[in-house]
Amino acid sequence: MSKRTALQIAAYGIVCLAILLVPSFMDDAFILNKYARYLVLGILAIALSLSWGYAGILNLGQAASFGLGSYAMAMALKLRTIPVHTGEAGLPDFMVWNNVETLPWFWEPFYSLTFAIFAGVAVPVVFAVLLGSFIFRGRVTGVYVAIITLAALVVVNLLIIDQQRFSGGFNGITDLAQLELFGLTFDAYSMSSYYLIAISLTVSLFFALAVTKSKAGLILQAIRDHEERVRYFGYDVARFKTFAFAVSAGIAGFAGMLYTIVMEFASPTFLGVQLSLSVVIWCAVGGRQSLLGAALGAIVVTGMQGALSESEIFLETWTLIMGFTFVVVVLFLPKGLAGAIEMLVDRIFRKDDAVPDKSSVAADRCGVESKAGAPR
Amino acid sequence: METILAQIVTGLSIASILLLVALGLAIIYGTTGVINLAHGEFVMIGAYTAWALQTYVGIGLIESLVVIFFTVALFGWIIEKVVIRHLYRRPLDTILATWGIGVMAQQAIRLAVGGELRYVEMPSAMSSSVSILGLEISAFRLFILALSALIFGFTWYLMYRTSLGMKLRAITQDREIASCFGIKSKRIYSLTFAYGAGLAGLAGALVSPLKSVSPEMGTTYVVDAFMVVVLGGVQSLVGTVASSAILGELTGFLAFYSNDTMAKVLVFCAIVVLIRFRPQGLFAAKVRT
Repeated sequence: MSKRTALQIAAYGIVCLAILLVPSFMDDAFILNKYARYLVLGILAIALSLSWGYAGILNLGQAASFGLGSYAMAMALKLRTIPVHTGEAGLPDFMVWNNVETLPWFWEPFYSLTFAIFAGVAVPVVFAVLLGSFIFRGRVTGVYVAIITLAALVVVNLLIIDQQRFSGGFNGITDLAQLELFGLTFDAYSMSSYYLIAISLTVSLFFALAVTKSKAGLILQAIRDHEERVRYFGYDVARFKTFAFAVSAGIAGFAGMLYTIVMEFASPTFLGVQLSLSVVIWCAVGGRQSLLGAALGAIVVTGMQGALSESEIFLETWTLIMGFTFVVVVLFLPKGLAGAIEMLVDRIFRKDDAVPDKSSVAADRCGVESKAGAPR
Repeated sequence: METILAQIVTGLSIASILLLVALGLAIIYGTTGVINLAHGEFVMIGAYTAWALQTYVGIGLIESLVVIFFTVALFGWIIEKVVIRHLYRRPLDTILATWGIGVMAQQAIRLAVGGELRYVEMPSAMSSSVSILGLEISAFRLFILALSALIFGFTWYLMYRTSLGMKLRAITQDREIASCFGIKSKRIYSLTFAYGAGLAGLAGALVSPLKSVSPEMGTTYVVDAFMVVVLGGVQSLVGTVASSAILGELTGFLAFYSNDTMAKVLVFCAIVVLIRFRPQGLFAAKVRT
């Protein structure tokens, strides 16, 4: 293990510990719920960082996986509500309003919570594998990947809004039961939910870190820096990219499920273009090539947004400032704040790590040149 | 027969607006390789300029078109000088930066004039409808159709019959070699960006009487316009026209047979498949990388 990896693990561990310790200083249920929400979005940012920062796949449709996960959880929790507003069959209320007589077949399995949790990860993964192998087998790269993923997101979003009878349409799925797992009840406004999410964040972070440190992770970074060269080495580039795309989708779907638990509803905005592009902002500001940076970027940006949202005028100015910050970061700090910090750390440890540092710069340069030529 | 004809006309009307929005985008993308997500905001600013001129100065829409063109072009020129200029070597980052600019522009407008819907009056001479082949067609929509044809013609002339256009095409083919021959590519890029922005502004002004004007209005246009550019192919003006027509008619017809949402879904799916198999678009010109 290199010194850098050790340092990285230490930093990740300290941050996760700090997050886990928050409830010991703070026991306001409302504030904890807010923090839990930011942490979930942090997990979503980790997912994007994995595909964008490490594999070079700018996925503008990350929210599609997030939303699918969120709906899977919401469907299961909806079926567990006591049917107050509905008929004897116990149909979800919005189906009754839309004159649906029987529960559609794809809702049936969601009576099982285990299935729902499985589906919340598996559906986005399967979707990502299909879409990913479709685009990467065709060697579609760069901006075209961004456009395709964005288009796919819009399609999923439109379909969910359009199928109001089965999905609740614009309103989404509301009035959910609380999640009960292993004899624990996860009330959105409780310590248990916060811990569930804080632990999930820790697990996701270290899982993603393990992926990036694995051999596949190294090959993915090589693909990001110079795809052609890795192909000449005989690696199946499309398969590796699809792998990264799918893992990232799985983490995003997982985050989506957690989001339903803290928000107590699922809505089409969870797979909206707005959210999807916001994730890109968080990653860019925090540092796309650092999982921790991306997560902290998401937590800090959404946290500030939440803090300022109490006052209307502040929120509006905030959006303006955020847009400005984003443009400045893209222009001058392509690796985000984490990149800047890493550069400082590298400078301190330069004597130890001088050689790998140089080679990575060289690889970066190749990557930039090949990218600059690509879209024409 | 009459419904089909009516559908074709509706499609043409959608297509002409698409063309106006997409033409600027196609020129910018084709020449500089910049994915300009702020294009929708150029449209929005054009519409707001039309609204402001009408409300505060009292100039009608048609008379203010020239002013609108130059206002938005100036805006685009400044953005190119301040931000885009630094990103020509990083095409992926242009998506992010221009999106950030779009967010800022939307928010600035919201802060300046409020987020509520605004309405621009249709020129009184064109509020009636004209009857052609037994069909009642809004005169204003015909005017848009004619004007977009005119603007396309002008752009074509600019690109293929002037020295500016020739330099521009040279840069598109090979920036380095063109620079070696003394073409100031930086200046051409700025001008291209400004011209594309101006066209978007015109599009915004022209659609403002048909739809309400709001800070978010640009978002819908930019996605559709992108699809036109992707379908039409880089640096192919004819392709842009053809794909505007195809997408306009397709959306019109599909919306007639199912509904708007499903029409959009089908169009988007078709485009995903198209990019996968022909990323250079249907009507791509040969471009050296």
